[in-house]
Amino acid sequence: MPNITVKVDKDLCIGAASCVTIDPATFGLDDGNIAYVMDHAAEPDGRRYERVFDVTDDELQNILLAAQSCPTLAITILDQHGTQLFPEL
Amino acid sequence: MTRYVIIGGGIAGTTAAGEIRAREADAQITVVSEEQHPLYSRVLLPHYIKGKIPREKCFLKKDSWYEEQRVEWFRAERVVAIDAVNKHVELLHAGRELPYDKLLITTGGEPHYLERDLRGLCYLQTLEDADHLLQLLGEVRGKPDAHAGVCGGGFIACEFLNIFKHFGLSTTCFHRGPWFWSRVLDEESGGLIAQTLEASQVKTQANTTLADIHGEHGLSEVETSSGLFRADILGIGIGLLRDLRWIQKAGIETAAGVRTNAYLETSVADVYAAGDICEHFDVVTGEHMLVGNYMNAQMQGRTAARNMMGDQEEFRLVSGYATHIFELDVIFVGDTRRALADEILVKGRVPDGYVVQEFKRKGRLVGATLVGGNKDRMELTRRIQAQLP
Repeated sequence: MPNITVKVDKDLCIGAASCVTIDPATFGLDDGNIAYVMDHAAEPDGRRYERVFDVTDDELQNILLAAQSCPTLAITILDQHGTQLFPEL
Repeated sequence: MTRYVIIGGGIAGTTAAGEIRAREADAQITVVSEEQHPLYSRVLLPHYIKGKIPREKCFLKKDSWYEEQRVEWFRAERVVAIDAVNKHVELLHAGRELPYDKLLITTGGEPHYLERDLRGLCYLQTLEDADHLLQLLGEVRGKPDAHAGVCGGGFIACEFLNIFKHFGLSTTCFHRGPWFWSRVLDEESGGLIAQTLEASQVKTQANTTLADIHGEHGLSEVETSSGLFRADILGIGIGLLRDLRWIQKAGIETAAGVRTNAYLETSVADVYAAGDICEHFDVVTGEHMLVGNYMNAQMQGRTAARNMMGDQEEFRLVSGYATHIFELDVIFVGDTRRALADEILVKGRVPDGYVVQEFKRKGRLVGATLVGGNKDRMELTRRIQAQLP
């Protein structure tokens, strides 16, 4: 089961909400219309804009799709080795 | 081996090309793009202009991507005609025809340009527009009486307002309607925007059109139906025009855009459309819709590609537009055309700082606007998706 890091750059996020539409279990929108990160719809340790958690391969594909849908590339995904999966470098 | 030709190299067309390549190793894929550049995000241009990101960060693909994916890429090229009987398209510059088995039209639109040009006028669609605006902003930086104008009352006008504020430019904004997005927003929502502009010392001229621009070597004055003001820069954001004539000539049905069914198929066999040019039948709201946002374009590119490869997938997405004017959030979700709504409920007033409109048709919620906050956004989106009242 992949262990990934999902980060939202609050400065780049414009609240387009495409990530929330595609993967509402991983992304939510705060009161300032900025995306935050959840671990399977839960928020252990409160509101976070970066999380490390385990996902299935299918879940990872959907999180990648959500990240790709962001028009400002505000979402970064790293694998357990710290290799950036998205955005492509 | 299927030959796929994609007209347009933006997010819809490029997503489609990638989707096809991921599934069909032997497909012949061609993308014809009017842009010189590989795919970049137009939504990132304001971030680039404001210095939040370097120019190269706007790019979503490198030049090498097209070769790696074995996508034949015509750049700075355009298709001038489709022969849907013999199944080929005609290229303008290359002087040749491209045969296709499946064709996707993703040509989007282009800004409504003024007939006259003068240094100081700017648009905001392409990377070149952003470079040009940055140059103009550099020229007026430090000039004590520098003044900017914004022509328009929609999304691009908002971007200009935010950019000019970022650069500390005093600004006059004028728009044709009584308030911003007057075909979508009610008076209370519009009033909230007007109040925000006033609080930030933006001079606003409502119910106003552009009469003329003046200046010898560059812009010096803008003449509107409400009077004359001095300006060094004028940002134009008065809508998107879609060139449909060459598509109509091929016998493809068009209305405001290229008409498709829920599978993004046009009226002509083996021809599909996606993105800003596409007026698809929306299964959620039950009407044809023209949607001009990034997410819609990307997801339509994906669905169109799948259907071109033989799937039968309905396009189903409730997408929205989100922007802000200074600190004020403006969000549209679903179908927000006033003219097509049976009923519009307005909740909130200007003093509340938050106004929501709910657009209903045949007893169902089909769209919503939120100005001044996003508290109800997800719930309204969920109700639209679920076709609830």
